[in-house]
Amino acid sequence: MIEQTKTGIEGLDDILNGGIVKNSTTLVSGNPGAGKSILCLQYIYNGVEKYDEKGIYLSFEEDESDLREAAESLGFDNWQDHVENGDIKVYDKQVLLRENDFTSSLDILLEELEDGDYDRLVLDSLAMFELFFENEKEKRTYLLKFTDILSDSGLTTLMTNEQGAVFPDTEIGLENYLTDGNIYLIQTPTDTGVNRYVWVAKMRKQNIETDIYPMEIDRGGIDVHQNASAFSMMSEEESPI
Amino acid sequence: MDSGEILQTLGNKYSAEILDATDEPVSAQELSDELGIPIATCYRRIDELTEHDLLELHDNILSDDRRRIKVYRRNVDEVRVDFDDELTVHIEERSEVTNKLDEAWRTLSER
Ligand SMILES: Nc1ncnc2c1ncn2[C@@H]1O[C@H](COP(=O)(O)OP(=O)(O)OP(=O)(O)O)[C@@H](O)[C@H]1O
Ligand SMILES: [Mg+2]
Repeated sequence: MIEQTKTGIEGLDDILNGGIVKNSTTLVSGNPGAGKSILCLQYIYNGVEKYDEKGIYLSFEEDESDLREAAESLGFDNWQDHVENGDIKVYDKQVLLRENDFTSSLDILLEELEDGDYDRLVLDSLAMFELFFENEKEKRTYLLKFTDILSDSGLTTLMTNEQGAVFPDTEIGLENYLTDGNIYLIQTPTDTGVNRYVWVAKMRKQNIETDIYPMEIDRGGIDVHQNASAFSMMSEEESPI
Repeated sequence: MDSGEILQTLGNKYSAEILDATDEPVSAQELSDELGIPIATCYRRIDELTEHDLLELHDNILSDDRRRIKVYRRNVDEVRVDFDDELTVHIEERSEVTNKLDEAWRTLSER
């Protein structure tokens, strides 16, 4: 039986048939505002709150205070406490992007990984991480090396990727092939706001539900509706596939 | 490091070609085959370049016939010669991010 790491988002864990494969790396893709960062916050927060698993949150996109405010707006009231007592370790963009400092951050991170105190890791976003490499070949090589290191350190990882859902005319990035799991977050505009969906396109070593499921973002974070047929609330022409 | 000495090392026949070919780790035999360098010369150049930190021993990998093979990788991205004040050779080392990840990755199997 393959060990799993629960996201703690019930509907999503159901789609995954239990959770994410332990020690794997999953790419969370979606357009701006699709909910990638929120999914990641929730994954790390649930880890501590529900499963007694510590998490590391690497953000090239936001400051520690942005993350705290986002967490609080979602009702993750203990976020700051967990950060302060070290159950959640945040490396924000201030730290990661200080001039020439990604190397020293990487040093601290690698050391931390060797100690093996953490179970979950988030990298938001992969695109920013890839800026440290010079060409496609380097990006691929070092993405694979980095995921190897994370896996070997006992971490189950989510990486975000600014890429829309795969329609026939969007190219599938190499990142999608190089990672163990692919989750797409989709939002389509409606008269009153947006409809949101989640699609688990792959999870290596595991049988998954490959339908597209509706979800909502509200206080409490992401809520996935377990019934794929709720998708039929949308008319045919609105369907993203 | 003595600038003249580095220039001398770089100027030796095949040195530049070897650095050019070692973006990814390569063995002496592969370099010799690919660049058409006599194997003895190849080893000599590798020693000189390694001594001056222009090239580094990257790993000992296991070959198909289960022998240990040394593979080398260049340590530099750019070399600049400055005659303005006095002769100085500036060496731009490879990005440290890749170095650190390489290092961490290499030790995985040893853990
Ligand atoms: N407290 C909240 N309650 C309800 N909805 C929220 C709340 N906080 C954020 N949202 C919604 O979630 C969306 C942002 O999600 P998120 O920041 O995770 O997007 P993202 O995919 O990370 O985008 P980007 O690529 O720009 O980083 C917002 O546009 C907003 O609609
Ligand atoms: Mg985001």
